Amino acid sequence: MTRSNDKIAKLNENRHLKLSGKSPEKRERFLRHGRPHAHAHGARRKAVKLFIRRNSRLCTGLGMLMVLLFIAATAGVFSPYDPQALSHDMVAPPGAAHPLGTDGLGRDVLSIILHGSRISLLVGFTAAVISAIVGTLLGVTAGYWGGRVDALVGEFINAFMMMPTFFLILIVIALFGSGIGKVMIVIGLTGWTGNAKVMRAQAMSLRNRTFVKAAQAIGESRGRIMFAHIIPNGIMPVIANTAMGVCTAIMTESSLSFLGLGDPNVVSWGQLIYNGKAYITNGWWICVYGGLAIVFTVITFYLIGDGINILLNPKLRNVM
Amino acid sequence: MRRYLGKRTITAIISVLLVLVINFTIIRLAPGDPARLLVGTEAPSAEQVELITKKYGLDKPVYVQFLKYLGNLVRGDLGSSYYTNEPVAKLIGEKLGYTALLTLTALLIAVLLGTWAGISCARHIGGGLDNFVGSITYVIDGFPSFWLGLMLMLVFASVLGILPYSGIMNIRENYTGFRRVLDIAEHMVLPVATLAILHFPYYFRISRAAMIQTLGEEYMTTLWVAGMPKRRIFRKYAFRNAILPTVTAVSIHMAYIVTGSALVEIVFGWPGMGSYVMQSISRRDYPVLMGIYLMLSVSVAVMMIVIDVLYAVLDPRISHATRN
Repeated sequence: MTRSNDKIAKLNENRHLKLSGKSPEKRERFLRHGRPHAHAHGARRKAVKLFIRRNSRLCTGLGMLMVLLFIAATAGVFSPYDPQALSHDMVAPPGAAHPLGTDGLGRDVLSIILHGSRISLLVGFTAAVISAIVGTLLGVTAGYWGGRVDALVGEFINAFMMMPTFFLILIVIALFGSGIGKVMIVIGLTGWTGNAKVMRAQAMSLRNRTFVKAAQAIGESRGRIMFAHIIPNGIMPVIANTAMGVCTAIMTESSLSFLGLGDPNVVSWGQLIYNGKAYITNGWWICVYGGLAIVFTVITFYLIGDGINILLNPKLRNVM
Repeated sequence: MRRYLGKRTITAIISVLLVLVINFTIIRLAPGDPARLLVGTEAPSAEQVELITKKYGLDKPVYVQFLKYLGNLVRGDLGSSYYTNEPVAKLIGEKLGYTALLTLTALLIAVLLGTWAGISCARHIGGGLDNFVGSITYVIDGFPSFWLGLMLMLVFASVLGILPYSGIMNIRENYTGFRRVLDIAEHMVLPVATLAILHFPYYFRISRAAMIQTLGEEYMTTLWVAGMPKRRIFRKYAFRNAILPTVTAVSIHMAYIVTGSALVEIVFGWPGMGSYVMQSISRRDYPVLMGIYLMLSVSVAVMMIVIDVLYAVLDPRISHATRN
């Protein structure tokens, strides 16, 4: 959308450069139609406005992501206390000293929430990227190769898809220990099926396109075609799916933490709620604020994922 | 169609085998010696540990253990719990009832409300109601299930004090008969509400999309042009066609019913499968974990085949498409 408008704007600018200082009739025509530069500028602003209005979800999501990244980056500066510092102010209600109260061990809830954003984003991104890579590689192999390879890899994707993953993650983490690195890897390695399906479908349709046929005809290797042509051209739906994968990863991490299976050495929202569960009657603020942070983050990535999907397929705008 | 079904069945079997292998490897490779846990914490002697290891075949190589396990499975024996020594199948059966009671009730409510809301919103796309419900479903999607449960608990049990916190019945009073049923129902309200709210957006979206698509079909216009009253078109033709995806969605959902409710069960102390899994994990009760996981994957695999058959029966166009 913007790209085409940008192009028009650029053309206008160039025309202005070319024509100014040339024949007087042409200059006059330009003067009649107004200053081309100003016109282009207005058009660009209009295009941006239109883009934002049409893709309100994507833009809202990106805005919220900026807020989250800002919080994560400045957590050390703005949080009033050390998130792991204990104090005698246990289960203190929100007030001047502790804006969002303290938890059962006297830790400041606001500081925990600010610092917890780092873990949530880290887990979300890392796990989603792992699953995107695994899914893309398997999907493109199955879809582009076709034939027996597709039958084998495709079958593996289908079989893996049927497995109840949350139980698998639960069992693995419970038995192998709950370091944050392990949590990220396990979530990533169980969540790739959606990406693989999407990439497989993309590869199958791109395989028959002319530019791929041309690449085959000039004798490019399979690997090169897959990495240089199929993946770059078919990656967008995978990216949208990955944004959704971030939500799932964040949810899974907080669920594990809530079950007491989180990494005890990190500050996370799920653990805040896990610790606050016992104080639900006399310290509501612990659970409520921790959960709101999760809800905000998850909705951010839902909006981005949905936004990209709508951008790719404008027909969805009417349905969703 | 038959060929397609055969293919699906093979996928299902592979899936189950994959689960078996992954499951078995993971559990056997995990740190923590089950024999030690079985003898108890109070200074076990070396002979006791050895005896237990022998008894459960934990000293044999992993592949022997796996083959033995497979052999037992074929005979319908899921093994017995390390902890209570009862057969796993029986233990699962006991817990499954509680989980089913909770989740099926929630599913029913979610399907009815979601479909109704979805269809109503599809009639006026972009209207006030549509936008309102649409944004609500967005927010619900962001709720972690355990957190929503805690919030409902906070509001209705803690602040308002009108519903019980957790558990399945009041253990202080020994209710019998109708009063007992009422008591259980009272304890069910919060967990069922949590699950129903969480599932609502799914059915809302599916039925809304299906209705929009159906209303855009040409035969809808034909009926309208032919002079059929709008209400009749809606009830008799649009509704029946738009309900199809919901039927499939319900059957997919049934397959994942146990995993979906685990966290909510734990929050509300509901004595179902979810709580039982957590217990078994902390006890390192391997046979139970493997049994539950196997049961889950088998139920998912079977459900997927059922869905395919169901779909072909409900919509004959599909069986044509797969045949060609």
